[in-house]
Amino acid sequence: MTRRELLALLGAAPLVSAVDPPAAPVAIARATSYDGDLTAVLATMFDQLGGLGRLVRGKTVTIKLNLTGSPALRFQGKPPGVTHYTHPKVAGAVAHLMGQAGARRIRFVESCAAGGGPMEEYLLDSGWNVRALMGAAPGIEFENTNNLGKARRYSRFKVPGRAYMYPAFDLNHSYEDTDVFVSLAKLKNHETCGVTLSLKNLFGITPASIYGDDAGKNEPNENPAEGRAESLHLAHRRISSSAPQEVNAAHSHDAGYRVPHIVADLAAARPVDLALIDGIESIAGGEGPWVGGLRLVRPGILIAGTNPVATDAVAAAVMGYDPRAPRGTPPFRHCDNTLRLAETRGLGTTDLARIEVRGLAIARARFPFSA
Amino acid sequence: MILAALLLALNLADAVPVRWPSVDLKTLELLAETPVNLLLVDRAPASPAFAEQAAARGVAVLAVVRPGADPAASARSAVSSKLAGIVLEGEFPPSAAQAVREAGLVAIELSPRSAIRFDPSAPVIGSYQGVWPGIRPQTRAAPTGGPWIETNTGFLRFLRAATTAPVWIGNLPPPKTVIPAEAYLQAICDASVAGARWIVALDDGFSARLLAREPGALKDWRRIAAQLQFFEEHKEWRNWQPYSRLAVVQDAGSGAMLSGGILDMIVTRHMPVRPVPVPKLTKEALEGATWAVNVDPAALVPAQKEALVAFARAGGTLLNGPPGWKFPAPRDNQITLGEKELAQIDGIWKGMNSMIGRTNLGVRLFNVSGTLSSLLGAPDGKRVVLQLVNYTNYPVESVTVQVLGKFTRARLYSPGNPVRDLEVYSIEDGVGVDIPQVAVLAALVLE
Repeated sequence: MTRRELLALLGAAPLVSAVDPPAAPVAIARATSYDGDLTAVLATMFDQLGGLGRLVRGKTVTIKLNLTGSPALRFQGKPPGVTHYTHPKVAGAVAHLMGQAGARRIRFVESCAAGGGPMEEYLLDSGWNVRALMGAAPGIEFENTNNLGKARRYSRFKVPGRAYMYPAFDLNHSYEDTDVFVSLAKLKNHETCGVTLSLKNLFGITPASIYGDDAGKNEPNENPAEGRAESLHLAHRRISSSAPQEVNAAHSHDAGYRVPHIVADLAAARPVDLALIDGIESIAGGEGPWVGGLRLVRPGILIAGTNPVATDAVAAAVMGYDPRAPRGTPPFRHCDNTLRLAETRGLGTTDLARIEVRGLAIARARFPFSA
Repeated sequence: MILAALLLALNLADAVPVRWPSVDLKTLELLAETPVNLLLVDRAPASPAFAEQAAARGVAVLAVVRPGADPAASARSAVSSKLAGIVLEGEFPPSAAQAVREAGLVAIELSPRSAIRFDPSAPVIGSYQGVWPGIRPQTRAAPTGGPWIETNTGFLRFLRAATTAPVWIGNLPPPKTVIPAEAYLQAICDASVAGARWIVALDDGFSARLLAREPGALKDWRRIAAQLQFFEEHKEWRNWQPYSRLAVVQDAGSGAMLSGGILDMIVTRHMPVRPVPVPKLTKEALEGATWAVNVDPAALVPAQKEALVAFARAGGTLLNGPPGWKFPAPRDNQITLGEKELAQIDGIWKGMNSMIGRTNLGVRLFNVSGTLSSLLGAPDGKRVVLQLVNYTNYPVESVTVQVLGKFTRARLYSPGNPVRDLEVYSIEDGVGVDIPQVAVLAALVLE
């Protein structure tokens, strides 16, 4: 039985699962610089998780990066990879190892901010060396999932069971045409959600062509140029009617409620097979340069796991937070806890006592973000 | 008269002008090992010694005269101080320049933008009005935004296309502001990459520290001089022509004289552009272009309209401004577009952008947030130079350049650094080059 089949089966179950949500090991490693041997560090982490070969050999792998916001926006003029984007060297090292482990095809994806052009150009605009990345492994591809992309139709992903917000999502084909789905996230705070890790990274799989502020009313707008603030965050605007609509017609307009619940739905609809979090260098105080009060941080760690909820729970703990903290407490001061919502859906545990941490212990990796 | 002859011998195209804060003879020592060869002083010195000693260094001196002063009397005073000429800064009647010339002096007019006279006999075409180049602080931050760059390049590019005379811009640094040396370098580059000159003007605090020989000020002055020297060492680029398949037809009255206009809008989107002033609009002027934007159709006479029709018949794509669409002529002291005009431009920009899409019009640039560029082609048609100006206070790294055409060699020039050969690789419609870092200025020559 595949994970998707299992989730579909669970869909028949009530929203709140009666059984303990799954736990899985999480690996933490020290990596103080992007100039270090990241390939060796990541290889050790993957070995600690049971080996990459069993996950990717002969498979198509889709890696969702976190490239949030326009690449033109820089914090203190720094390359976005050392502030709020997944760093290209982490992406390159992961691709290299996957290639070595026998991955047949590795497709990097992101719904590139405010545009539907080729992802390669978006990466160039972000300062990535696309030619070098192409050489990291055989069969590397890129797809901007902010619209239909290279397919003829959108793929519909149903949320198993009773959805929090949307019963299903229409997504770019890349999220369906894959055997392995990887969320390659950044270790950051998030203005709306408290933290953004491998789960919150999934918010970006929604195409702005349908879910964006300039989406077509009745059909996708294949040339999106806006974000999703008015539609998904605030529900001031409806998503395109071509996609399944929100289950609750009353529409909460509280982004701190909406976004975590949407993310939990997405995590159920499109399960993550491997969660990776780049915490070598980052920002604290928000998710991107458009948020005030940011500061640069160097946690110097990488975190990986096969369960995104468990991985994010460990990451939140490394950031100095209680991963089970309720709304109203840091870092979830003005929002619901995405991790707990995903846990409630049965996607994974946030209970640190049930998660085996391999490599560096949480206590040794801890880097308080609220300091 | 002799000193005026010196200035003429200097050739104003090669003049490197600086507003000089003192007529103390000792200050001339600060010009040693700099390319500065023209000083603008606020009033004629009492004795001819300043001009004479400056001349001995190959430096000419001009007095700046502003409205309210009598140009003829100022000219007599300048003659007695042995100055080479007068700069008429502000709005003067044509007779003022004539009076200066009749005194045997060079007359340079720095006019309001709205009153620039394209006099073919003028030694320089210029204005004292300009924005202070740099990144404009964001008023509203959003994930999909990007920095807006204040620049005079659109205005200066238009002037360069409209006249064969040297083009100067004489804007001053903003008052009561601490200005880092990088901002002066950016101001020099902003004008120079458009083929024009900024009349270097130091703020009062910097001037005082420089005249007092403070080490920090001397260091910054040397950086400014090095930046000026860089452009003198590559003065041939000034006469290279815009290398672009996109022509923008515009007349002086349709926003071309204003910062923030359509040319700036295009350049801030990193598209190369070829301005075509309406009086120069012919079939030949559009040769090599595949796209043309006609900003103000109502300004054209039948022969000019025919040139555009011929362009379209030959396969060119023409985008006209909306019917009845017209920019108001620049008002007296207006140098930037108002909100209404910007909204108009935004409309034409959106149409143009959706039409052009990802087409390479000469060059496509990636990871160039906070920079502006200029792409020029050599008269031999075998070389192009791409100049990148970084307006941020941080180095820009990992820039990718995709240039139309077949080139096999790329050399990177930047002030204070040795020339560097960069790898050239093939792409679909030309060549690609990766530039590792841009401090304030980088010039990539492809051949």
